[in-house]
Amino acid sequence: MIETQFALLQRELWEHRGIYVAPIVIAILMTLGALTGQVSVNGIQHVDVGIVGASNLPENARAAMISGIMIGLSTTFVFAMWILTIFYALDSLYAERKDRSILFWRSIPVTDSETVISKLLTAALVIPLVSFALVLITHLAVFLIGSVWVGVRGGNPWHLIWASAPFFDNWTATLIFMFALPLWLSPFIGWFLFVSAFTKRSPFLTAFLPLAVLPLLEKMIFDTAVFAEAFFVRSVKMPLFIDLQTMERLFEEGEHFAMVADAELSLLGLMDIGGFLLSPGLWIGIVVCALFTAAAIYVRRYRDDS
Amino acid sequence: MTSVISARNVSKHYGDVRAVDDVSFDIGKGSITGLIGPNGAGKTTLLKAVLGLTDCRGSLSVLGLDPFRQRKELMQNICFIADVAVLPRWIRVNQLLDFVSAVHNHFSRAKAEELLARTKIPARAKVRELSKGMVTQLHLSIITAIDAKLLVLDEPTLGLDIIFRKEFYSNLLGDYYDEGRTIIITTHQVEEIENLMTDVMFIDNGRIVLDASMDTLPGRYVELLASSENAERARQFKPIFEREVFGKQVLTFEGVNRDQLDGLGEVRTPDIADLFVAKVKGAAA
Repeated sequence: MIETQFALLQRELWEHRGIYVAPIVIAILMTLGALTGQVSVNGIQHVDVGIVGASNLPENARAAMISGIMIGLSTTFVFAMWILTIFYALDSLYAERKDRSILFWRSIPVTDSETVISKLLTAALVIPLVSFALVLITHLAVFLIGSVWVGVRGGNPWHLIWASAPFFDNWTATLIFMFALPLWLSPFIGWFLFVSAFTKRSPFLTAFLPLAVLPLLEKMIFDTAVFAEAFFVRSVKMPLFIDLQTMERLFEEGEHFAMVADAELSLLGLMDIGGFLLSPGLWIGIVVCALFTAAAIYVRRYRDDS
Repeated sequence: MTSVISARNVSKHYGDVRAVDDVSFDIGKGSITGLIGPNGAGKTTLLKAVLGLTDCRGSLSVLGLDPFRQRKELMQNICFIADVAVLPRWIRVNQLLDFVSAVHNHFSRAKAEELLARTKIPARAKVRELSKGMVTQLHLSIITAIDAKLLVLDEPTLGLDIIFRKEFYSNLLGDYYDEGRTIIITTHQVEEIENLMTDVMFIDNGRIVLDASMDTLPGRYVELLASSENAERARQFKPIFEREVFGKQVLTFEGVNRDQLDGLGEVRTPDIADLFVAKVKGAAA
């Protein structure tokens, strides 16, 4: 049972190499960016030498800046991860029908539920895990480059970089963010799996057209916006963060940066995990995801067009 | 002889189309059954029902299991190669072996590797890099290494050249087949399996028109090659089908004693392809 599930997850990694190739490419780009100073300096031109080390900044501002860079990198990966998840989920049950290998997969003692669940687990666990590993590597690479930079200029990288920011808080927060996002967006993942299981062509259009047309029809016929609001809230208002204004403070540029920055500021400090886990929206979403997943299993089991 | 497959009044309709229409048969352990029928006769639908890939009406038992509801248990003991069940093109040979050994209790990786060593298939090659013949070799090697009780082959040699086709069947008999294993084959190349089948089933329009052991065919069916006047006399025995070859009449009889046809021309046992045409066209006439 467990061994079968591992073999199925392994299969997903073989088949969809983008799961690790995409974050690796981003990791390389970000590290190259750090090498040329792009990631580190952008928008903070008035900060002097050493860039990440920024020895002329007050302690709390330096910590905030390092956290800011970490969070910026994490956010980039989270964003890329979600795009990857969309494409993965849409392809997962469609590709095996398109290349006609589905009968081979079904000739092996694995149930349709096990297969579809392996796809859901890939989207909800494997992709975030791989992305998280690469965020970690990227953080380490970027700050190692920063350390060398600071060290060459005579600064103490331990004091100026590594000891000055809440690394573990930021990593924990990144990990939580990466696992919370697919949970929050799970109704979309379930919908994508379902579309992937039934559509005969173009899973992308089949999945997104209703998301656009449904709210439009609703507006035209009933003059209400239940769907539009549901889609919108689901897409942008994840109840994991305390409030968006605090978030924005982190990314504020220019003169105010040092003033608003707070040494205590870490991504973890901005999260309300209990509130997230208790929010009805999360659980409604998970139920919707479960229904769509069950529908995907049903379609894979009963469809008969091979 | 114990039954591996037992079907009673099995039907599968797609809307108004009766793909399989009230079919009953048994397939015994250790047999090699050729399932023969024209395109659209219902062969593939019947096999899909046997493999638990589609639901059907009536009672169908395969290795004592309900194929649709107990597909996973069934797949521990059934293998199939179908022209349509293609191996995924992105997978590497060694990945395929890893995967099958992880999910299949009855798979011997050592045996599969031994069989593959006899071929020219590289262990790290992707399926997309292999020729069609090699992909079939790969598939057969994997299936031979699975200790399954029933093997279903649906047009396994379609699109292969003659060398691979011959090799396929000789490997099938040499490496795979033994008394404890049962094989069902459908193919358009009837002559290729004529000498290895123990049983034959003809299917047409969703119905079984013949279900017989190969041993019993010479006793049941006889073909007479006669001149036109002798053919006229032979018609009293009610041939099921007639055709003309090089100016001579060929008459196929069912249940007619060979002695009765003595002196009317050349008497022989029809080959499977001719018998099939006789049964299907004769019934339609």
